[in-house]
Amino acid sequence: MRDGVNLARRGVPAVALVSSEFWAQGDFIARSVGMPDVPRVCFEHPVAGAGVETMRRVALAIRDEIVSALRGKAS
Amino acid sequence: MSARLEAADESAALELLHELGCTDGLPVVVPTPDRVGRMALAMGLDGELSLGSMGPNLGDCTVEKVAACAVMAGCLPDHAPVVLAAVRAVLEPAFDCTEMQATTHAITPFVIVNGPAREACGPIASGFGALGPGFRANASIGRALRLAMINIGGGRPGVSDMALLGHPGKFTMCLAEDEEASPWEPLHVARGFAPEDSAVTVVGTEGPHSVIFVGDADDPTAPDRLLDTLAGTLANVGSNNAHFGRGSGVVLLNPDHTHVLAAAGYDRAGVARALWDRAANPRARMRALNPSMIPDGDPDTPWRAFRSPDDILVVAAGGSGLYSMVVPSWGAGPHANPAVSMRIDHDQACAVPFGPRGG
Repeated sequence: MRDGVNLARRGVPAVALVSSEFWAQGDFIARSVGMPDVPRVCFEHPVAGAGVETMRRVALAIRDEIVSALRGKAS
Repeated sequence: MSARLEAADESAALELLHELGCTDGLPVVVPTPDRVGRMALAMGLDGELSLGSMGPNLGDCTVEKVAACAVMAGCLPDHAPVVLAAVRAVLEPAFDCTEMQATTHAITPFVIVNGPAREACGPIASGFGALGPGFRANASIGRALRLAMINIGGGRPGVSDMALLGHPGKFTMCLAEDEEASPWEPLHVARGFAPEDSAVTVVGTEGPHSVIFVGDADDPTAPDRLLDTLAGTLANVGSNNAHFGRGSGVVLLNPDHTHVLAAAGYDRAGVARALWDRAANPRARMRALNPSMIPDGDPDTPWRAFRSPDDILVVAAGGSGLYSMVVPSWGAGPHANPAVSMRIDHDQACAVPFGPRGG
């Protein structure tokens, strides 16, 4: 989340990818660094050890949402 | 009836308790008679009832005194049945409380809670950060047991509690098993209780040691790598277990790690068996480190850290991620530091009148 905020502050289009277990923490960080509305997309937890097939499925599932977020159509 | 102390006001009472060595060094809730009376009611037993004597000073462990310790620890009456069960577990002869309090090793009762009491007497945390700060029931239940060991058992550092350094878990060390996230039957069921029962399992342990493991669903060796990592930590060469070859080991597995093992076909007993088999060092290695503690013999034979798979408690707890934990133990005392389980009777409490000054 902090990376997304730092990129956004530099004017680089960014969307933070946050796994479900860390969604609340992501909200907290976004608020604490002063950019509560930084674009982010939630995906299923866990990432580590999930395997290539699972990660491919997760990536496909959130692909459109990431693009929408970058276009400013999602928060 | 327990002895009464007099003080001018609440602040003076707190200072007096500190001065008398009745605290763990942190502020306590002053155990006034009405607070203690309400806590005793929540325990559902006569305050004068003796649960046994607690060493090393063989203090008479009455329900009222345990209630006073629960008040001091900051417990709510809801927590009382768990405190009572934990104290009763520690009083079991097999727990060797007297020897445990007196040892120079760093050991404390680690309280693991199973069954409906996790909610009814809590909530007692089992997930993210469950062994850390922020959870009132976890913090105060474990602390109540410690205060009982100080005030009833007489464990005073450097006098009767001879731990050379101690460890932070001696303030409090309590969590619930995450039964909902576990692929296996709850720990208390594996230890002979019915699923609808509630129980504490108390085991004297060191502090927890983190174990990092990154799984890989595409790697068929992942379960073996995880077991080897856990077993290597269980048998770390600085531990009593690695030297004495006995005691209990607790393995706290996060949901990702239980999933790796369950998906490979391991049940709880299977995990314990595999860990027992792998938690070993070559005898020559151990003799080289501490020759006086390891008997001579074939240098290549494995020197196991535990006597039996039953001595390894596998518990589902923690948040989802890379880290599980191993909790080594003491391995000494007449009974060699076994885990002791005790039923939590949380349907016996009397109605507790709401106190005018709170908890």
